[in-house]
Amino acid sequence: MDEKVLSTEFEELLSSRGVTRRGFLQLCGTIAAATGLAHITVPDVAHAIEDSVIGAAEGNLFPVIWIEGASCTGCTEAFAQIDEPDPATVVLEMISCNYNETLSFAAGHSVEEAKAQTIKQCAGKYVLVYEGALLEGWDGWALRVAEETGVNAFLEAAENAFGVVALGSCAVNGGWMGSKKTPAGAIGCQALMAKHGITTPVINIPGCPANPEWLVAVLVDVVMMGVLPELNIDNKPALIFEQAIHENCQRRGHFENGEFVYKFGSEEEKMGFCLYAMGCRGPQTKANCGIVRYNRRRSWCVEAGSPCIGCCEANPMDSSHNWVDVNASFHERHRDLRIGNWVVQPRTIGLAAIGIVTAAVIIHGFGMKASKRLDGAIRFESQREWDAKHPNEAIGYYGADRTIIHEDGTKEVISAEEFEERVQADYESTLKKLGAAAASAVAGGVKAAEEATEATAEEAQAETVEPVEEAETEVVEAPEETEAEAVEAAEEAEDAVEEENEESKGGQE
Amino acid sequence: MTRSTIDPVTRIEGHLRIEMEVENGVVADAWVSGGCFRGMELVLEDRTPADAAMIAQRICGVCPVSHAQSASIAGEKAMGITIPNNARIIRNLLEGAQFLHSHILWFYNLAAPDYVNPINALKASAADAHDLAVAAGTSTNTDLKALQERLTKFANNGQLSIFSGNWFDSEGGQGYKLPPELDLICTAHYLEALTMQAKASEISGLLGGKMPHIMTMVPGGTMFVPTEEKLDDLWSLVNELYDWVSSTMVQDTIALVPFYKDALNWGGGCKRYVAWGVFEDASFEMNNRYLPAGVLKDGLALEDVNEDLIKEYTGHSWYEPDDVELRNPRDEGLTKPLYTEYNVEDRYSWCKSPSYDGQCMEAGGLSRLLVAYKRGVPFIVEQIDGLLATLGVPGRIDVLQSTLGRTGARQIETLYVATLMKEWVAELIEALKGGDSEFFRDPTTTTGDGTGFWEAPRGALYHTEHVKDGRITGYQIIIPTTWNIAPRGHDGEPGPMEQSLIGVPVNDVEKPINALRTVHSFDPCTACAVHISEPSTGKHFETVTNPWGVK
Repeated sequence: MDEKVLSTEFEELLSSRGVTRRGFLQLCGTIAAATGLAHITVPDVAHAIEDSVIGAAEGNLFPVIWIEGASCTGCTEAFAQIDEPDPATVVLEMISCNYNETLSFAAGHSVEEAKAQTIKQCAGKYVLVYEGALLEGWDGWALRVAEETGVNAFLEAAENAFGVVALGSCAVNGGWMGSKKTPAGAIGCQALMAKHGITTPVINIPGCPANPEWLVAVLVDVVMMGVLPELNIDNKPALIFEQAIHENCQRRGHFENGEFVYKFGSEEEKMGFCLYAMGCRGPQTKANCGIVRYNRRRSWCVEAGSPCIGCCEANPMDSSHNWVDVNASFHERHRDLRIGNWVVQPRTIGLAAIGIVTAAVIIHGFGMKASKRLDGAIRFESQREWDAKHPNEAIGYYGADRTIIHEDGTKEVISAEEFEERVQADYESTLKKLGAAAASAVAGGVKAAEEATEATAEEAQAETVEPVEEAETEVVEAPEETEAEAVEAAEEAEDAVEEENEESKGGQE
Repeated sequence: MTRSTIDPVTRIEGHLRIEMEVENGVVADAWVSGGCFRGMELVLEDRTPADAAMIAQRICGVCPVSHAQSASIAGEKAMGITIPNNARIIRNLLEGAQFLHSHILWFYNLAAPDYVNPINALKASAADAHDLAVAAGTSTNTDLKALQERLTKFANNGQLSIFSGNWFDSEGGQGYKLPPELDLICTAHYLEALTMQAKASEISGLLGGKMPHIMTMVPGGTMFVPTEEKLDDLWSLVNELYDWVSSTMVQDTIALVPFYKDALNWGGGCKRYVAWGVFEDASFEMNNRYLPAGVLKDGLALEDVNEDLIKEYTGHSWYEPDDVELRNPRDEGLTKPLYTEYNVEDRYSWCKSPSYDGQCMEAGGLSRLLVAYKRGVPFIVEQIDGLLATLGVPGRIDVLQSTLGRTGARQIETLYVATLMKEWVAELIEALKGGDSEFFRDPTTTTGDGTGFWEAPRGALYHTEHVKDGRITGYQIIIPTTWNIAPRGHDGEPGPMEQSLIGVPVNDVEKPINALRTVHSFDPCTACAVHISEPSTGKHFETVTNPWGVK
């Protein structure tokens, strides 16, 4: 292409669009004149500091280094979606984001220099946001940036930071790369820092991606209040990650009514029924997704029709406890019960719901419509309080025989009383088994709790294999006096019975 | 000879290193290398196709919808599903929203910083800038004076934030060429674009639950079922985006061209293209997609896509020597990594070299547009012919085969997608009005093989999987950037991006801004470019380091 030719063509272009060349040039100046302005293209103030590429080391903005490790850039992308404040306000008026591989105007050695200068000139005064996993595979060379391993780049920046924000499940514990199937050797920020004796405070913000509202909430804490937010035992912001998604779910009412979606894209979905039967991990995943929502509060997973896949599940000290390995297959009912980093297959619904998660039982027990799918799963009240007062309008049912379908497919009909007894027995034996773990978790902190839990869980697993046949409840069918719609729903349900999973170390406070 | 390096390349997805030999101010040779290994294909083994659609998205936070879509199509082919019409439309809308998000973000927030200097905008006359915007026919939604005051306040504080270490002074201050008024306008649009790309992702959030990493795409259709309250939001957001895109993006591009017209002279690359096609029409035929499938050989000769001709070569990559020189990923997908040493005469990249009919190919927006042009898609033909005429070079489609051409082509595509979004919303409303309430279909088999040909915003995307009893036994992915950043192929020909760099003027080896412009014109996305399907000899990776010993 001939440049000279095009130059003339541009004049034609202008005239063809009704703009005179002269008018255009008067407004914007000639190319030569424009390039002549180059000597003032950097703010004068930047020159006040000799050889600085970051400008002033201090000012109104809180210095931030944002490093991407083995990332998909999804957490940066998510950050780009926020409003109030929007990302431009954040990087122009809240923080001085001196290094960010996606937003930085600089590239190559220039951007590395900006990082090095920030670490040196702002030591102890900047926040490090780390996105993506750290990879220890092949001595750290699984991730190579600017002739350095990702691990070393992180450690240097972390050591000198005011605080480290591990942004997204990958940064918290390796995320999907924590799967044993890949040799990349993923590890989270907190675990890696512990290995290297770095004591800079860590704030873990899981999620895939992390909701940008969570990051900005933390930044506001740090930037405007000069403090780190209150953290839970996993170093996750307590107010954000204390409650299960299920607790604040907009479809929760349908759960309690026993109204479930059993097929994607169905009429039930259109009516916004509960996705628990489709494998929703909301009951065991702790985050406030349903409150903050995503994409400028436009929607969130469950609202759009998808069961939660538990992407906030991340144990900072254990990469194998990553959300993919813990939660897949996502659309199958979750049957695993996790205690610390131990996974057991509960043999009974009752065991899971009653024995382990007392707190969750409280959550779920209230107002539960005793449809046959749920009946017996929750050992909370033998009769709903409201039902007792309004026998003619009761929405629960009581006293009917129960049909238990065992794992081998055989059915057994037992009386309501006997059912209650069995469930009660389960409840008590489970409490006994788990009592030691719970007690030491409260008394002895994480480490002790994990060890105790592990040991107890092992025991518990071994013991559940004992023939407690009545406990193998898959479906509890009710007789026909149950409401018609509940009967209909139950026929579709294979095993939509309540079960809960909970880490013993969570929720101890 | 001088060595010039950009590592890390910023404003892309992932980790990328560019190394160049510069001779007499021009790049004489170039090597492109991806820097991160994660192992996605391994993680997908033994999972269900539905889980694969969820997990595979995590390859890339910029184009997760495309990966979910490609994985879902592969799963549907393997399990014998044709998705319902409603699901087709909703998935087009999801993909379209991602294209809009991605292209807007890429042009204004990732690529434009190679051309626009916001600090220079401080010197502008806001009144003149407004007049200039009117003259250039571009939108003026921002209070330019207020923006200038905001920037001044920022500059006076002295901390440079995202401008730290900028290249505004590259090439002795000659690198950035816009007059202050145009810098001010483009800075205003940089900020507006941040809002608009987020609006586009709101559509993804509406239909997909959240973005990035949507939740409702599943083999069989969609989990999302529209209600009235969702439809009106969708309709409104789509219109808002169209209004902004149609009044801003192509106009800004044309305003920039005169100042950087030199970039129409280089950066062409291999000038052969692949496009697998994207946005399904009711026929579900690849060649009928709204942006159709096709391969353009030398001289832009158009051919239909033949999966058997897609092969990968590993002779210049860190993999074990192989008896088979060119492997088909579907039938012979087998990858055994083996690091030796960084030697441009031998092996020097993690990235394999994909080829079509034995030749390297460029993927991306330009590829799609050229194929659509050759296939006679009316909107594209009209827009490209119109643009070339406006530039005074009617019919000279070769003008687009350059750094600036590749950069500009995406704005035409953005306009096309914004237009289609409006059509799809109308189509969806019609379908629902007509009583169609089907959104999801069950598998007809649990064992089979399937390939999902699709397009991410940055180019041709290929997922192929083998499924047995509902579980994946083999999974291979070829993503767009693998095509583009490929090392030398079996015949020694440099990869597309390497070829595009050769001949690029570099007057400043410290800050090779033209090379950066060329790399950004591909919109690279490297996180997904390096992946393997089988662990092997891992201990050999330990010597992965930079062998160049230069900055």
